[in-house]
Amino acid sequence: MIAFENLDVRYGAAAPPALKGLTLSLDRGIVGLLGPNGAGKSTLLKALLGLLRPFAGTGTVLGIPLGAPEAARLRSRIGYMPEYDALIEDASAYEQVAFWGELSGLAPEAARDRAHEVLYFVGLDESRYRPVSGYSTGMRQRVKLAQALVHSPELVFLDEPTNGLDPDGRRRMLDLVLRVHAELGTGVVLASHLLGDVERVADQLVILDQGEIKAAGSMAGLRRVLAKRVELRFLEPLDAAQEAGLADLGAVLEARNGLYDLELAEADPVAVFRWAQARGATVVQLTPRHDRLDEVLLRALHGTPVRGTGLRPTPPEPPRPDQAEPAPEDAVRGTGLRPTPPEPPRPDQAEPAPDFLPSAGTSAREER
Amino acid sequence: MPIYEPTLPPAPDLTQGQPPSLVLMRFDLTRLWRQKIGRFFGFAFLIMLLVKLAIIYVKYLLGSNPAFEPMQDFAKAVLPQGPAFQAGLLDPAGYLLWFLVALVGGGLVARDTLYRVRPLMYAHPVRPRDYLLAKVGFASALPFVVLLPFVFLPWALSLMVAGLQGPVWPTVPLRLLPAIALMSLLMGTLAVGASALAATPRAGVGWVLGLVLGTSTLASLVHGLAGFAGAEALNPIVLAQAWPQLFVGQEAPLLGWLSALLGTAFHVVLWTYLAARRTRPSEAVI
Repeated sequence: MIAFENLDVRYGAAAPPALKGLTLSLDRGIVGLLGPNGAGKSTLLKALLGLLRPFAGTGTVLGIPLGAPEAARLRSRIGYMPEYDALIEDASAYEQVAFWGELSGLAPEAARDRAHEVLYFVGLDESRYRPVSGYSTGMRQRVKLAQALVHSPELVFLDEPTNGLDPDGRRRMLDLVLRVHAELGTGVVLASHLLGDVERVADQLVILDQGEIKAAGSMAGLRRVLAKRVELRFLEPLDAAQEAGLADLGAVLEARNGLYDLELAEADPVAVFRWAQARGATVVQLTPRHDRLDEVLLRALHGTPVRGTGLRPTPPEPPRPDQAEPAPEDAVRGTGLRPTPPEPPRPDQAEPAPDFLPSAGTSAREER
Repeated sequence: MPIYEPTLPPAPDLTQGQPPSLVLMRFDLTRLWRQKIGRFFGFAFLIMLLVKLAIIYVKYLLGSNPAFEPMQDFAKAVLPQGPAFQAGLLDPAGYLLWFLVALVGGGLVARDTLYRVRPLMYAHPVRPRDYLLAKVGFASALPFVVLLPFVFLPWALSLMVAGLQGPVWPTVPLRLLPAIALMSLLMGTLAVGASALAATPRAGVGWVLGLVLGTSTLASLVHGLAGFAGAEALNPIVLAQAWPQLFVGQEAPLLGWLSALLGTAFHVVLWTYLAARRTRPSEAVI
């Protein structure tokens, strides 16, 4: 679907690179493009749309090379939902969706018919004749999604589609994204800095920071690992022998105040109770740690390998003399999260083959 | 809410569409229609046109009816004669038309800048030259369409009432159509270039008026201080008045052929270049 090699994008020849030598290949599906603000997500989307000419490197989108004369034709096969409010305020949703459809190559009558259909699809059928200046944020986001879908693209780029939405609006928007892929068969690239959004819909994950790919892999592999992550607490503090015996269950990633963060060898919580019964310990808390995806993100951003996830961090570049290395705590200040120190991989837990580009039979929904 | 989950029918045919420039121009026309500014300008231009037609009929009566013979000397003193009269058919190309072009053209690019829709346009199969062509085309077509009745209605009336010997030359459309084409191109490019410099439609109107009046003042200053009459070729108002005079062969036109050509080319190239620079994709993205 998308492939690029050593892609380098700059806003001007003398400007520093906004994307630094990216190399990646993505299959059809829902790709989550994750990274903090300013990571280069929107720049990457614009480069893939042909709005920014690559300074160096090559790439193809839907088989058409970036920067080729056919790029304009390529855009009729792609839908783009921008991050910002790109709405024509003095026009109704119906008028502007029809307009974008015509710009994509639809005949005027077909564009008008399609505008009705796609606004119905996104749930704006009742208010489609009202000027968008009176719309709520959720409705505005849905108009933007409708204009991206009006010409039935093969691939759609969604840049922060849940920006400014309340939890219910977010849920409905993400449901729409899932339906776009499931019902229309459209490939989706979803750029977001919200981990929960990407986790909910994506089946492939690319983590970007400072214009570099920090990690890339399948969400399926990541979820398999996260299913093994549990938090354990016992009635009585474990003695040294019992603590040592925890290694039979899996890897102890963290132990503090009687709380053990474990990565189980198998995703089987019952084994924990069997283990406790055999050693005379009483389990009072066993909490699955699916929320550890944020830790994966933080580790990727710091260039630390994430054991067993199939996510491959790219080697960090040596720091430039004019750019001091930020302290690891700086990246997570205010989040309440502390990145765990990197652990050397154990010989008995070898890094599994990264399942980047999941097989055709695996989808994000099957995993869920 | 619908009682069942809606979905989309199969993909439509994407090869039946119109060229992007035409789609953009049609959308701008819809916007213009919604602004309802045509009521005032339509009324004003209609009155001007009726006055022109009345003058033509009076001229016809003066020339054909013996009862008006005593008034002929007076009429010759008051009304322009010969080529000056033919060129005067386009008098509305004065301040009112410039004001209309500023009001409409000033918002053409600036409105897209304000709503930030230009990057989204370029995310569709729209090239920067399609966009520029649409905006310049629309801004130029507007004065052209406004001026067309001022050429054809007096000409038709003159032919109807007096035949080939009427007050309006039978060849007037051939002479004035190129003139209004050049005037419209000048007005359109200037308006689009000014609009590209503005961040809001209102600012765009200000930019157009400011550039028209500013260059006029500059040209007059240079003319007055240096005594160089050719400097008036910088003045877009004078240029717009000069083209009909040149094409009908009026004696002592405001500008010579070379000055008018160079001045018009200077404005068209400068404002088109500025508009192109300000609406290129990287500018739109940043």
